[in-house]
Amino acid sequence: MTTQEATRWIAGLFQESADSIAPETPRDAVAAWDSLGELTLMADMDEKFSIVLTDTQLKAMTKVGDILQVLRENGKLTD
Amino acid sequence: MATTSTRAAVIRGITSCVPARRFDNLEETTGFDKEEVEKVVRLAGVKTRHMAGESICSSDLCLAAARDVLDALEWAPESIDGLIMVTQSPDYFLPSTACLLHRDLKLADTCAAFDVGLGCSGYTYGLWLAAMMLQGPGFARVLLLHGETPARFASESDRAVALLFGDAGSATALEARGGADGKRWWFNLHTDGTGYGDLIIEGGAFRDRFPADPRKYFVHMSGTGIFNFTIKRVPPLVESTLAASGVGKEEVDYFIFHQSNLFIMRHLARKCGLPEDRIPFTIGEFGSTGGPSVPLTIANGNLKRPADRSLQLLLLAYGVGLSWGSALVDLPPGAILNHVQLPGAGDTV
Repeated sequence: MTTQEATRWIAGLFQESADSIAPETPRDAVAAWDSLGELTLMADMDEKFSIVLTDTQLKAMTKVGDILQVLRENGKLTD
Repeated sequence: MATTSTRAAVIRGITSCVPARRFDNLEETTGFDKEEVEKVVRLAGVKTRHMAGESICSSDLCLAAARDVLDALEWAPESIDGLIMVTQSPDYFLPSTACLLHRDLKLADTCAAFDVGLGCSGYTYGLWLAAMMLQGPGFARVLLLHGETPARFASESDRAVALLFGDAGSATALEARGGADGKRWWFNLHTDGTGYGDLIIEGGAFRDRFPADPRKYFVHMSGTGIFNFTIKRVPPLVESTLAASGVGKEEVDYFIFHQSNLFIMRHLARKCGLPEDRIPFTIGEFGSTGGPSVPLTIANGNLKRPADRSLQLLLLAYGVGLSWGSALVDLPPGAILNHVQLPGAGDTV
């Protein structure tokens, strides 16, 4: 998956339009990225990528790019 | 020991009981935005819950359930050899709630009655204990009661739990099966105490009897901790139980999940490769009622029951402790399944 594809996936996950989400988009600009949104993020990361997010990782995420970084660190981004 | 099996026990009846007071999350919740409530209802799946309020304890719910199942089976109180009360919301620190129920049910003094302090995993552990008792001489009938009032220990201001919990009790009547040709039950029981803090009431017991912070009297749940625990532990539980028993997924009639959260249950079903049409969900009506959600779902899950054979059920219970367990059991065609409601003080039903 490319970074662009992953960003689009994140937009879909949080029910935002693709052009409103970018790596630098802060967490508090994403309405659905609350504690419930964290649950859907965790579930999708598990189901799609077999990645388990810890509480520490989730609390440290402040922007979309932090999610992309986790994907990158787990070898899920191809670019 | 994680996996064990026995032919000792048979289920003769299950009655579940909930408080008559039914709370509609969307219509009646105050303190949160409507949109927020809608999101929680959609994700967790809890549309309504039955609430004990201050006038009903777990023991009351279990007592109503026990009286119903004993009447239905026409079992005399003095015929009960064992009473197990599984609860983490007891009437008192002491005596055991089982003793109070022993009194109310007028059981014989030769009956062994005791509490088991487990929550979400409690029904699988309780069935195993009952089956172990029924293996030996001297035990022919055991009553397994499982009751919780988690809505009473959830803070109304805690968004993580305020809309989630409902209250429920149950009574399962078990008998020694007798004969060598009985169905074999399988149990797989586990613990990870390092996760004790993921679901905890910190105050009120002896580590911190009178906490300065009143929030410590209410349950604290780490949603991420519980989610990660669930996805890590439940799929291997399914696989190992079926592998040990030699039973294939297609041979299980129903997978009865602890009703924790609809989103999580559906995620688990996909992860375990289980078809949703064989997973009854009762969380929509009753909320998350802790361990009693398993017998509650057996009794209220609209199971299709053939007249000529037993159902094969895989029970999956996981949560507080952290503790988790499975039970692969049969439900005979003649076993009674009932459900009752208990009015509280001031309720009009």
